[in-house]
Amino acid sequence: MNVRKYKFLFIVAAFLILAHSLSAQEKFIDVRQEMADNLTEVKKNASVDDWASALENFNKAKNIWNTEVITLLNEDQQTKKRFSEYFERMNSVQADIDSLALLITQKKTDQIESKVNQIIWGISHHPQGFDVPDAVYTVWDWVFGLGIGLGFCVFITCFGLYLRRSYYRRYAKQEN
Amino acid sequence: MPSDLVIIVIYLALMFIAGLFFSKNIKSTADYFLAARSAPWFWIMGAVWATNIGFLHGYLAHGGAAYEWGLIQANFEWFQGPFAYILTGLFFIAFYWRAGIYTVPQFLERRYGPAIRLIYSIAWIFIFLVTIAAELYLGGMFLKNITGLPFWGTVLVLTGVVGTYTLLGGLGAAIMMEFVQFVIMMVGTIPLVFILLNIVKGFDGLKDTLINQWNVSPQYFSVLPDIHHPYGPGPWVILALCFVVSIGWCAGHQSMVQRNLGARSLYDAKLGYVVASVPKTLGAFLYIIPMLAAPIIFAQRGIFVEKADAAYGKLILNLLPSGMLGLFIAGLVSAGLSSIGSVLNSTSTIVVKDIYERFLVKGKSDHHYFISGRVATFLIILASLLLVPVVTKVHLIMWLEQTILAMLLGPFTAILMLGIFWRRTNTPGSLIGFLTGGAFALLMVIKINVFFLIGWWSFVVTMVVTVIATLLTKPPKNEKVEGLTWESDFHAKVGFIAEARAANNGTHVTQMPDIKVALPPWYLNLKYWATVILLVQIALLLFFG
Repeated sequence: MNVRKYKFLFIVAAFLILAHSLSAQEKFIDVRQEMADNLTEVKKNASVDDWASALENFNKAKNIWNTEVITLLNEDQQTKKRFSEYFERMNSVQADIDSLALLITQKKTDQIESKVNQIIWGISHHPQGFDVPDAVYTVWDWVFGLGIGLGFCVFITCFGLYLRRSYYRRYAKQEN
Repeated sequence: MPSDLVIIVIYLALMFIAGLFFSKNIKSTADYFLAARSAPWFWIMGAVWATNIGFLHGYLAHGGAAYEWGLIQANFEWFQGPFAYILTGLFFIAFYWRAGIYTVPQFLERRYGPAIRLIYSIAWIFIFLVTIAAELYLGGMFLKNITGLPFWGTVLVLTGVVGTYTLLGGLGAAIMMEFVQFVIMMVGTIPLVFILLNIVKGFDGLKDTLINQWNVSPQYFSVLPDIHHPYGPGPWVILALCFVVSIGWCAGHQSMVQRNLGARSLYDAKLGYVVASVPKTLGAFLYIIPMLAAPIIFAQRGIFVEKADAAYGKLILNLLPSGMLGLFIAGLVSAGLSSIGSVLNSTSTIVVKDIYERFLVKGKSDHHYFISGRVATFLIILASLLLVPVVTKVHLIMWLEQTILAMLLGPFTAILMLGIFWRRTNTPGSLIGFLTGGAFALLMVIKINVFFLIGWWSFVVTMVVTVIATLLTKPPKNEKVEGLTWESDFHAKVGFIAEARAANNGTHVTQMPDIKVALPPWYLNLKYWATVILLVQIALLLFFG
């Protein structure tokens, strides 16, 4: 029996197991994904008038929202900065969930899809660039910017001329 | 979906077989690390771009960053990238190429001595390990979302395919595969931008929806946003970065430089680099502009997006029809494989040439180092797999990558520029400057953590400290810098000067030799290409700025 070979396999197996456990998705992502999956099922159920399943899937999603997502947000938004965007949207998502419950009981198929989409977008990650304020330039910005830009152009020109001069000083142009 | 899976499996199998085929003639370190110096310019062009663009530095991570911050991300594709490609192709590659080196650290040793070579090599090995891990993570996550297969299964398949052909075939196999992948990537991923812009009624429709209906800041659509923009500190630093981090990337990144060192002539190396700026510019249409429209698609269709890095995969999964999706994924996987393959090959080159052969085991046979290269490649794959769990914890991978790069490339670009353009720069000066700049960059990461600023100010600090320290110490001997500075490049350019000088017992030659130079056809003229590309960049700046 080749012991070295088995040792090697053991190391690889241990490595893979360790890596797998370390790479487990963050719980906050997993629970929101599950909630989104259930809500997507609600859309499908409603489109074929399967209201019992729609209600069942909606309740699953609502349960995840109440027991998992809100809990994680309340616990972690103080310590993890990236949670703050979801924390800020918590009330509007809650309102949309309540509204969706009403739409399902009223069986309003035409409005359910857009409401579900709104909730899923509410629990999704939004671009930070959306919140950047409009551009504002001060006089100092222009002075600084133009100073560097023009300064660089002057430097390049002078340096290019210097290189050219020093080259021809060493190696004179050939006269025809 | 099954048809897409079939396309992907066939593609991966073909890549695997082609890699094995290309690797059959590899017998020496020159074959393995420099592709026997046989690649024509169009291979170099495809390989340079395919190396640059992957899961990380392209579709998934930069696409994710475009989703997060908007059009500002196109700076990498429209200004920094092409500008640096052209400058590097025209000015820097010649120095490496004529020196007949394998790695950038080798060049640094010739100019500055072994200490900088060692520091620089170790820094790049660390960066490359993180890069490969990030590429594997992004690729694995993407394939997991697309196929539903377990994350580690997809990571191991990717590793198996790319690891095999890189390990066996070296740079030659990697360059040929990269050219094939460049074509597949272009054909496979271009349709997305047309499909998306059709849905959102063109770029104007997209702007109108986001700015007027969603109340998004117009800066989301500005490639040069306000000086106080949180992503970067404004246009002047972004433009300044054309001369710092991007040049450092193009002239100092072993994978990028190594492609050019494998060229069959210096002209091929230069032209390949300059023309690669064309697909680099097009990259913004492949993965930046589509991601600006992504929020509308996600909101309209109820697609859950957990983080920016996952946005690109979610978009194509929900948008493209079956069949086209498979082709698209093949294109995307091509991008990832080519980048991983090139970085893998470059890491093993640095490990063997700059650490193992230079400092640990000297004077062995070529075959010994050739085998060492393969062993190193295997070990690097394992080490990168170990780092994958760490990078999964990062919020925006592009930010991590750019921060690490800025820390190294700011100081490096400073000493590279000084070393080439100022003969007076000496070893103590460059070493003190490089270390001070590196320490300053580290402090900035802790205090500020904006990679644009880190790159720029560490460059400035390194420049200033190097110049002062150089002036306070002895100048280098002439024979030490001969052939390694810009002035010396003129000698080689006009030819015969060095030979004539040697014939005159080392005295200066005062007469310019009469040389007949065979010019390439106009469509392969470097200056024309460079001018046209720079004009396109200005037009893009005026349109999107």
